Amino acid sequence: MSGAETPVTTVGRGAAVASWIWTPDRRKVVFAWVAVVVLFLIGGFIKSGFASGTGITTILLVASFTGFVATGQMFVILVGGIDLSIPWVLNAAGLLLVTTSLGQDDHALVAVLLTLGLGLVIGALNGIGVGYFGISAVVMTLGMNGVMQGLTLGLTGGMTCDRCTASAPDVVRRAVVGNALGVPGDLFIWLGVTALVTFILSATVFARRTYALGSNERASFLAGINVKRLTVVLYMLSGLFAALAGIALTAFGGQPTLGLGDPYLLQSVAAVVIGGVSILGGRGLFLGVIAGSIILVALVTLLQALNIADSGRDILYGVVILAILLLYGREQNAR
Amino acid sequence: MSLTRQTAWRAPSRHFVAQNSTTLLALVILVFSVVAYLVLYYQSLGHFPDQYDLTTIIDTALPLAWVGLGQTIVVVTRGLDLSVGGVMSVAVALAASRMHDVGTMILWCVIVLLVGAFAGFVNGVLVAYAKLAPILVTLATLSIFEGIALVVLPQPGGQIPVGLTNVLTNPGHPYALIYLFLILGIWSVFRRTSLGTAIFATGNDETAATANGINVARATLAAYVLSGLFAAVAGLFVAAQTTAGDPGAGNPFVLTSIAAVFLGGATIFGGRAHALGTVCGALVLTLIVSVLFYANVNQLYQAMYEGLLLILAVLLGILVGKLARTSR
Repeated sequence: MSGAETPVTTVGRGAAVASWIWTPDRRKVVFAWVAVVVLFLIGGFIKSGFASGTGITTILLVASFTGFVATGQMFVILVGGIDLSIPWVLNAAGLLLVTTSLGQDDHALVAVLLTLGLGLVIGALNGIGVGYFGISAVVMTLGMNGVMQGLTLGLTGGMTCDRCTASAPDVVRRAVVGNALGVPGDLFIWLGVTALVTFILSATVFARRTYALGSNERASFLAGINVKRLTVVLYMLSGLFAALAGIALTAFGGQPTLGLGDPYLLQSVAAVVIGGVSILGGRGLFLGVIAGSIILVALVTLLQALNIADSGRDILYGVVILAILLLYGREQNAR
Repeated sequence: MSLTRQTAWRAPSRHFVAQNSTTLLALVILVFSVVAYLVLYYQSLGHFPDQYDLTTIIDTALPLAWVGLGQTIVVVTRGLDLSVGGVMSVAVALAASRMHDVGTMILWCVIVLLVGAFAGFVNGVLVAYAKLAPILVTLATLSIFEGIALVVLPQPGGQIPVGLTNVLTNPGHPYALIYLFLILGIWSVFRRTSLGTAIFATGNDETAATANGINVARATLAAYVLSGLFAAVAGLFVAAQTTAGDPGAGNPFVLTSIAAVFLGGATIFGGRAHALGTVCGALVLTLIVSVLFYANVNQLYQAMYEGLLLILAVLLGILVGKLARTSR
């Protein structure tokens, strides 16, 4: 920019271009990433090592689990839906991984495919309930969460079965926590997911249809979009990513635990919205969701570094989420 | 003469059925649950449940019914209150740590109700005036209230005065039924107040409500205040039942309160719900535990049956609603 010599007309065009680039949706993504940087700066000041290489890597590794579920959650929130079945789809996925592989590498591929398939099937059932039968997303996925919880606990005898004590296959563990170039493999998986989802959501017809459906269901239907089928696909994606998170978490911890997925219901919703996606659907960018996942985990880590008791952590966590929402999460007619 | 009388009687009745089809469906589901319970109970024990059994079931359902009453009012405004679990936990924590004798018991009952109403007020301001989405607001405040409950009562313990248990949940006396009718009474009064009308109008159509001079923001705020208040009442009932304090006592009610409301026939689109349906939903969700027990079903599967029941009930409601509309 050459300041003084710039003709008036170009300034006008520059402003137009600026407002075209600087859309509200993109502004939210920038804010979210600024919040990430600020959190790491504060953390670095408070505790040495927080913003170091290993500190950041650890936070990113934990954030990737939230990132996976939030990715799936984003797909359904983009069309104004919500997936409350994530906790027990995730938990069931972790169990299915170890019970089908029994920790053996030669069964790992089949086990991983079966587990991801489970996520897809449950997601499809959710999508059929919501899309074809018109059951509200809250009810359908809440009910499905109960079904998965009951099935998981019942079939495994409360996770006391012999097979339940197996560990994740070594090859899967190494893929998730094993180092490559000094970085856990899981972060490469997350990077791959990020690249893929960013591409899908910015350059495909599927994305156009999804945003259209989220903006106006009736108009989308009239424009010839197969609304019901698209709904099923989106819920399948949510199930798929919940299962992926279940695999990653099980590999991370070695074994699945009871209630593995419980924290991820509310975290996934919070990450999506803090990332600038409208809870009403139709608006929001995936890069913000990644920032949202990192914010949540960095915040918890920061509060832990401050040696704040559980109670104070809960309170501050809620207050900070509210503060972030008040800064830029306000919706016109959000109710 | 008799013909006109007959049509005058029949027309509103059919309208009534169409309008309240989902609430009636909830009643039918409750009747089926009660029958299943009685049959299975008789099969396994050889006699019918006595007053003690029945009172215990209603006692167990009461906290869910109270918190469901508040949740129903919020759902009418197209909202959702996830923070009720946190409010209940705070109520239990306060009751367990602050009540010692009759005097402190009465004092802290009042304070707990005020705390609950204030918690709802915070939610309401953020939803109605700051225009934040209800699910996000109450998600954040749930975390805050859970934290506060932990500050009040760091670990499970404390003591609930016997007086509170005797008044609120005494399986020896059929008080429980009185409280159920109290909930329905509160609802029918609420429906007839201008506030109730304003909240329903807001849930049906905000623009139309505003055009008719209703302060939509204030009605929404009031809905959340009521939800917080009734969640606090539910917390007192939980405290009375468990007789000891647990700072996480309210957690299970976040999702079950929502389940009870939708099992009771409320619609997510707002403007249509009935406390009778929610009370039925709470009773069904409580009965199902006993039904599964006497049917010798492995209790680990319990959540599955609850989930299936919720989905099927709502699906049935949709079908019945469609039938009622097409047959008109």
